Amino acid sequence: MQLQINNKTHEVDADGDTPLLWVIRDNLGMTGTKYGCGLAQCGACSVLVDGEIVRSCVTPLDSVIGRSVTTIEAIETDPVGKAVVAAWVNHQVPQCGYCQSGQVMAATALLKQTPNPTEDDIAAAMVNLCRCGTYNFIKTAVNEVAGRKEASL
Amino acid sequence: MKKFLLTLIAIIVIAGGGLFWFVTHKPGSPFDGETASAAPADLVHRGEMVARQADCVACHSTPDSKPFSGGLEMGTPLGSIFATNISPDKQTGIGNYTLADFDRAVRHGVTPDGKRLYPAMPYPSYVKMTDDDIRALYAFMMNGVQPQNVPNKPSGIEWPMNMRWPLALWNAVFVPSGTYAAKPQQDEQWNRGAYLVQAAGHCGACHTPRSVTMNEKALDEGGTDFLAGALLDGWYAPSLRQDHNTGLARWSEDDIFAFLKNGRNKHAVVFGSMAEAYNNSTQFMTDDDLKAISHYLKSLPGDPARDGQPWAYVAATSATGNAGKPGAQTYAAKCGFCHGTDGRGKNEWIPPLAGAASSLISHSESQVNVTLNGSARVVTADIPDAYRMPSFREQLSDRQIADVISYVRSSWGNHGGPVTPEDVKALREHTDPASSNPIVLQMR
Repeated sequence: MQLQINNKTHEVDADGDTPLLWVIRDNLGMTGTKYGCGLAQCGACSVLVDGEIVRSCVTPLDSVIGRSVTTIEAIETDPVGKAVVAAWVNHQVPQCGYCQSGQVMAATALLKQTPNPTEDDIAAAMVNLCRCGTYNFIKTAVNEVAGRKEASL
Repeated sequence: MKKFLLTLIAIIVIAGGGLFWFVTHKPGSPFDGETASAAPADLVHRGEMVARQADCVACHSTPDSKPFSGGLEMGTPLGSIFATNISPDKQTGIGNYTLADFDRAVRHGVTPDGKRLYPAMPYPSYVKMTDDDIRALYAFMMNGVQPQNVPNKPSGIEWPMNMRWPLALWNAVFVPSGTYAAKPQQDEQWNRGAYLVQAAGHCGACHTPRSVTMNEKALDEGGTDFLAGALLDGWYAPSLRQDHNTGLARWSEDDIFAFLKNGRNKHAVVFGSMAEAYNNSTQFMTDDDLKAISHYLKSLPGDPARDGQPWAYVAATSATGNAGKPGAQTYAAKCGFCHGTDGRGKNEWIPPLAGAASSLISHSESQVNVTLNGSARVVTADIPDAYRMPSFREQLSDRQIADVISYVRSSWGNHGGPVTPEDVKALREHTDPASSNPIVLQMR
């Protein structure tokens, strides 16, 4: 079947119930998107589908046919995504880094939908898990893209 | 006067003797007097299919035990009972059973020494099985199953409630006599479906409500309570009748077939006890048998009075304000990624919560249970599916679970009614999380 990923058409030989994550990583070799829990609990596998955040480990392939998938590899082609990555670098958000591509995707989805999120909006949307505990840095970086200055930690 | 007393005593003695005889006698079997003969391979093979249809292994094995060596604990209000060893071991199993003994146990609930089985053994359904199926099943149990020397565990029911003889009277009142009789006005497929559903399949054991005397309120399509939905063991087994909300009215025959064959369709995915029934039983049935079951179930009329206002999807808009409800945030963070922010699931892979029977039935137990404990892996043809419901008992409080389920049950047109933290607490205390291992109980 044909998939639109990062503005490229990929021909993929896989069953309709295959999780999108497996195809992205194993069939197409794009390993920026991480496998965390496999149960939509942690968010490490977050990607955008038509601009909305989804967890690719629980996204069956046949549910994204004809839709546009964006992964961390191409997030900087989106102006909001580019700003998010810049803020991430500016605040040196990652520690071990494993969850961070998912965090960047979640932040980009939030800021594309709600350019000026409140603190509550940020808390509600940024629910991906980070075992290093970089949550404060994440909040600071999201606030910066939203145009709110916050003392970096 | 003396004559009167003597007559009275005589009557009591005769009645008492009659009662004694009745509660200890062994019912006749068409196989009485038959001597053992070698079982041809095709009979053993056919018996293996009957064993899958009857799902014997579901109770008479556990994931940790050898096939048919018994051990599943069944809680009753009086104490626990344990499924017995039915492997052909001569010391601890049924190795000494003749075909007639086996028949009496399976179809009448009577052991070779005249003891009555608890009706946890679904003999009120199995009584309808044909002689041919019983003969085949016996051939498989004796020749296809390995003997396992595992002693039975004693039941936890204490005297006087552990006396079994009153069950003979219960049987006389509540257990039908005779095998399934085909309805000549119905076609062959309908009759095959009715036979599988009522006899070996014993669908009613979970899906038919029971009276205070614990008998199923109806054992065939003659009663409107038959397969009308019932609560059992922390799960609500929904109606299998043509009820729009809580039954199968919105399912086509093909949908029912897919559910039993693949464990899923666009309306639902097997969970709770049905995941086990699917993994161990329905997936092994032939396509023709599953189509017959689907055909038969579609013939059972629904009851709009019981079922309530027909559900229709209502999209959440900012005006209806789903976002502000308690539970909305938990739904977005924990549920929506799989079941969809619109509640519609993902094709047949992840079930919708919008319009699900469990979202529309007033009994909330199934939704609370599956949220607390997750569900078993659905294993189709030895392959576990990629998606499963995780357990949230360690992540969410009673209040959070109550709120998020209440949110589900009041969104997208659902009208199942709210859930309280007390409802969640009650189930949390006597349920356990589902294993994350793929489990298909083996028979050989």
